[in-house]
Amino acid sequence: MNPQLEKIWMKVQKPGRYTGGELNSVVKDKSGVDVRFAFCFPDIYEVGMSHLGMKILYSLLNKMEGVWCERVFAPWTDMEAMMREAGIPLYGLESGDPVSDFDIIGFTLQYELSYSNVLNMLELSGIPLLARDRRGLSQLVVAGGPCACNPEPLADFVDIFFIGEGEEVDCELVELYRRHKSRNSSKEEFLREAAQIPGVYVPSLYQVEYGEDGLISGVHPLEGAPAKVTKRLMLDMDRSYFPESFVVPYIEIVHNRAVAEVFRGCIRGCRFCQAGFLYRPVREKSPQVVDRQCRALCESTGYDEISLSSLSTSDYSQLNPLLDQLLTWTKEEKTGVSLPSLRVDNFSTELMDKISSVRRSGLTFAPEAGTQRLRDVINKNVTEEELLKTAATAFAGGWNSIKLYFMIGLPTETMEDVAGIAQLGQKVVDAFYANPGRKKGKGVSVTLSASAFVPKAFTPFQWEPQDSIEMLRAKQKHLVASVTTKKIDCNYHDADTSFMEAVFARGDRRLGPVLLKAHQLGCKFDGWNDYFSLKRWLAAFDACGVSPEFYANRRRDFGEILPWDHIDYGVTKDFFRQECQRAYQAAVTPNCREKCSACGAACFHGGICYENR
Amino acid sequence: MKTVRIWFQKTGAARFISHLDLAHCMARALHRARVPLWYTQGYNPRPHMVFALPLPLGVTGLRECVDIKIDEEAITEEELARRLSEALPATLPVLAVTEPQEKPGKITWASYTLLLEPEEGTAEELLEKFRALLAMPEIPMEKHTKSGMALLDLRPFLNETEAFGEEGALRLEAFLPAGSEKNITPFLLTEALQKHQGARFFARVSRTNLYDGERKIFA
Repeated sequence: MNPQLEKIWMKVQKPGRYTGGELNSVVKDKSGVDVRFAFCFPDIYEVGMSHLGMKILYSLLNKMEGVWCERVFAPWTDMEAMMREAGIPLYGLESGDPVSDFDIIGFTLQYELSYSNVLNMLELSGIPLLARDRRGLSQLVVAGGPCACNPEPLADFVDIFFIGEGEEVDCELVELYRRHKSRNSSKEEFLREAAQIPGVYVPSLYQVEYGEDGLISGVHPLEGAPAKVTKRLMLDMDRSYFPESFVVPYIEIVHNRAVAEVFRGCIRGCRFCQAGFLYRPVREKSPQVVDRQCRALCESTGYDEISLSSLSTSDYSQLNPLLDQLLTWTKEEKTGVSLPSLRVDNFSTELMDKISSVRRSGLTFAPEAGTQRLRDVINKNVTEEELLKTAATAFAGGWNSIKLYFMIGLPTETMEDVAGIAQLGQKVVDAFYANPGRKKGKGVSVTLSASAFVPKAFTPFQWEPQDSIEMLRAKQKHLVASVTTKKIDCNYHDADTSFMEAVFARGDRRLGPVLLKAHQLGCKFDGWNDYFSLKRWLAAFDACGVSPEFYANRRRDFGEILPWDHIDYGVTKDFFRQECQRAYQAAVTPNCREKCSACGAACFHGGICYENR
Repeated sequence: MKTVRIWFQKTGAARFISHLDLAHCMARALHRARVPLWYTQGYNPRPHMVFALPLPLGVTGLRECVDIKIDEEAITEEELARRLSEALPATLPVLAVTEPQEKPGKITWASYTLLLEPEEGTAEELLEKFRALLAMPEIPMEKHTKSGMALLDLRPFLNETEAFGEEGALRLEAFLPAGSEKNITPFLLTEALQKHQGARFFARVSRTNLYDGERKIFA
């Protein structure tokens, strides 16, 4: 540990972000370690420490003999400035050793706007940013997470991408690394062999060609790399590794609680939702396993709140048995159970009673669109009737505040659809006053939160243009103007950041130089409104002669080679095209539990695709 | 239901935990230790927990305490101390669990050790600067109060501060008013040394003990 650090901690905000030493953090004896892994989260401590994937992989890697995984987060700007001034490089929280000393530097990519932080963290570590400038085997930069599904914008910087779920492939790669390190292999030898591991994508082994029209004309694998890299996934969730303890932070973080994962994937086929397709097929854990994991976590951490996590927890087929099982001990231990993602079509009084028996938090639902036509376009499969019934149930149960999430800028959206959001909000308000049992003198609060639609890779809308910033602003204005009561609070997401998110979500390798330039111009913490500057980003695009609109606002042809076509998540491009065309007809597609729509995910031979329906 | 007082230290990385975060940290540890806590009877049941005197961020505490209410007499003080020790990180060691003798409001004084490592000049020069500070008839300092900044003469509060030469550093042993009535933070002393004597140093501050109005060790 650099002795200077202690002096700096005295001067920065929330030094608990930087000290390490938290309960359950793993400290190993360096002499018995031959692979050191720096797990980097490209955002601040409070955000990164809330992330379940990092907790799983941190514990799993540290379970490996001779491997030591440490945590690294992006220092907030006050800390960064002081570290730069004192010449202190970025360090691992467990040992305090510089990240540049590590063998493998892994980033988790949860959000496109964190890419500038990836570069900044490499720079703060004193590690060459470009993969080709890192000649040795150590300081190997790897990345995984949902944004790795379109790895191309980061291809210049990252040596290896993990496609899909990391539990197995990360360990396999670490083992391969260990073998190559012990025999002093060159980086090239190692990468060539790594590319043979299923789920490992080595971007330097793929050559991309562009046509005169600016479109990709071909992608060629080199040196025996596979033509398509298929994602990895855990088929048996009951046997899949799950940590028995979490690192418990000293300071408050975004989600400071025990988290149990009840299933992976989602039965729904919402056409805008990338996660819904990336994690197919649905694989559930049994309630006994979830219950056991919850108990172990609460015992090791002391948390008195459990969050049942998944993409749509009320779709868990064993939800009621699980809650009954949990309530046998959580009530007595004053432990609360929360369900972060509820759907309006299966919210019941019974469920409400169970989650509110200890402590209750706010209710949030996501109808996503304001009119039935548009909800059918996006295949949300939620009706206005269901939403109002749910609202009435909640109001009757004593809730008086509901938050509703929407998107604006969805394909085929008109101004009537935008106004529909406000009208739906009004109907929810009316439902409150229609409740005869409501407490007198208590008002209702409905929050309408509208984000901007960002078309993503591996969705039926991957060919769609994003609305221009001007159009998004006009729609936001129209939404606000359509709200006529003070009982509705309306907020929306900044259109500028959504535009940049859209560029990188479907970008290609030509964005590498732009990212580098943006980093040099000082872009970082772009997910934070205070730091994001569209002007600075546009200057970077300008300097590199690249048009951001080409990526965000252009309608792509169904026949076009997409930058991520050589990455395979099981769901076929044909299925996405069919779904896109059904969207134009406002035709809905049944969910995986009702009927198989032959999306292609059955190729993995597991999960819901092989269950009786 | 009875009240017990947990005596603990706040050392190492734990001294960077804010007062509010320490309360959360302690609550989780008590839960982990399965201490039969008494919960408030409200809409959101919470355990009852009162820290005697908050410690400024960055200061080591060698004898801190927190009062909790436990549900029954089903657990001995020794057992509680043992279980809680296991549940807390090593940077928050439990010293003892006792029956409170005095209310936290009785705390009137606190003793501090300040280890000043010079960042400019030598430890001897730093000692000279400290003596020069004590030689000032008045030491005007600005102090944060609930109603904004107030002017305060620090000099009368330094009568019980002693200086000792250490290997390359200056050690100050200070005895300052503490508690809800009047509280002088040790950082006022380091600021005064910087402001009035131009001293440059890094200060490691520990609160070593708490005392009541009769200057007896708070128990």
